[in-house]
Amino acid sequence: MIIREHSAFRLCWDALILVLVIYSCVLIPYQLVFLHSVELVNNRLMQAIGLVFLCDIGLNFITSYRNAGVEILDSKTIRKHYLSGLFAVDLIANFPMDLLVAAAGDPQVGGFSAILLLRLLALLRLFRFFVILRRWESLSWTHPGYLRVFKYVGVILVLTHCIACLWFASASIDEFPADSWVVVANIETSEPLSQYIRSLYWTITTMTTVGYGDITPSRSVEYLLACVIMLIGASLYAFIIGGLASLLGNLNAAKNSHWEHIESVEQYLRSRQVPASLGMRVHRYYEYLWERHKGLNERTLLEDLPDSLRLDIMLHLAGDVLRDVHLFKHCSTMLRNTLLVALKPATYAPGNYLAREGEVGKNIIFITQGEVEILVGEDEVSHGTLGPGDYFGYLSLALKEHRSASIRACDYCEVLILDKSRYDEISTEYPEFLQVMKQVSAEHSGRASQLLLEGIVL
Amino acid sequence: MDVTIRDEGDTKVVVLQGKLDTNTTPDVESAINSLLDDGVNNLLINFENLSYISSAGLRLLLATAKHMEGSGGDLRVCSLNEMATEVFELSGFTAIIDVYASEQEALGGA
Repeated sequence: MIIREHSAFRLCWDALILVLVIYSCVLIPYQLVFLHSVELVNNRLMQAIGLVFLCDIGLNFITSYRNAGVEILDSKTIRKHYLSGLFAVDLIANFPMDLLVAAAGDPQVGGFSAILLLRLLALLRLFRFFVILRRWESLSWTHPGYLRVFKYVGVILVLTHCIACLWFASASIDEFPADSWVVVANIETSEPLSQYIRSLYWTITTMTTVGYGDITPSRSVEYLLACVIMLIGASLYAFIIGGLASLLGNLNAAKNSHWEHIESVEQYLRSRQVPASLGMRVHRYYEYLWERHKGLNERTLLEDLPDSLRLDIMLHLAGDVLRDVHLFKHCSTMLRNTLLVALKPATYAPGNYLAREGEVGKNIIFITQGEVEILVGEDEVSHGTLGPGDYFGYLSLALKEHRSASIRACDYCEVLILDKSRYDEISTEYPEFLQVMKQVSAEHSGRASQLLLEGIVL
Repeated sequence: MDVTIRDEGDTKVVVLQGKLDTNTTPDVESAINSLLDDGVNNLLINFENLSYISSAGLRLLLATAKHMEGSGGDLRVCSLNEMATEVFELSGFTAIIDVYASEQEALGGA
């Protein structure tokens, strides 16, 4: 039996392991340094947690993994991969050595419980934390940026916690000498939690280079430890906080990039002394693009995709178009698919022109959302509107004539554009295309003839 | 543009030769309007020798069809070349104006 790495069961199990890893990494050093006794905190619970991790080792032997993007499902390969990878670390981290020691009572080593010292090996469970997050990063519905932030925060917290425990242990291992920082701070007889908070406070002030100076090292070993912690703190915080800042920035990368682009355009418009009202129209257009497409350019975004994948996306996106645009209703599946891949999406803001009077028609434009107005002459006399499902441009293409009217968006319009070259290609490759166009034109001849009688060629 | 008009029974046959574009359409329009003013009810326009039709020509045909429809008359066109056929069909005007393959066929259906 093989468990798929992205199955619901494995996801839930991994979530449980993740929580237990963090719990272990926090509790084990705390228990060793501040509580000193295996019985004081959740001894049975720790053994139960150990059992869960042993089960996890078993499950890792039958959980699929990815190699170069391909999920490996062969049980023999999975076993070999795990054995040559993290099995040894997992075994050391989770082997119940503390139970063996417990059989001989609870011998003390340097004033510490041998059981608790052995349990420090369980900190190696932290490797599992990274393995699980890496597995989750490959899930389609997770945001890799958020997972990386979670990883950074987790590492910072666990590291800070462990250093705080180490800092207190530097005094407790020598049974609190009179010149140790714990005695100087007068907390040697305080509650464990209070001692921990003071130690954590010093660790954070040191690692963040704040250093208030109310708690200071006074013995050589403490100075030495403080130096190491300062070095770790300075380098690690620069690395982690820098990475974190970059990650948080990247979480909104698309938005930032979109607004940077708007600022550049607006700066250009101002420098060219474009009227404020026109600048505002540009601004609103970009606002709409963000709301509608999150700043992503569908045209370039989909160009990288293979045709088959782009077609599946277009079929999904063009559900309304296929239903509303009459042309598609009469097309065969092959022709419809070819058209969908050939069509280029575009967005127009209110007041923007989709076509200008006098220009040579170079495309057919299918309106999928919004309404456009047909305007003629310098006075822009309205000759009606076109809406979702309507299209124009074929007469100008067929007659090779200049358009005799402008088309202006009344509101935000989404359109699909078939340019002349693709129109010619498809007409040649699919003779059915022209037949379909003719059929649709015949069905809508009333409107077309009315526009032509009014002298309008689109 | 040459415009020839002849009678075939009760049908006036207008034979066009050349290009029916913005420049030549007014001449054809005045010729057809004269026929309409004379009360012609059956009109056949032969496109056999027409090499090009523009939107102005299409507009003339539509206006004529509309006029004849209002007066109870009948407008037919015949012998469209490939380009004209495509423009007619792509415009959807075959649903408004009766198009025939040849003059003989058009007159036979009169």
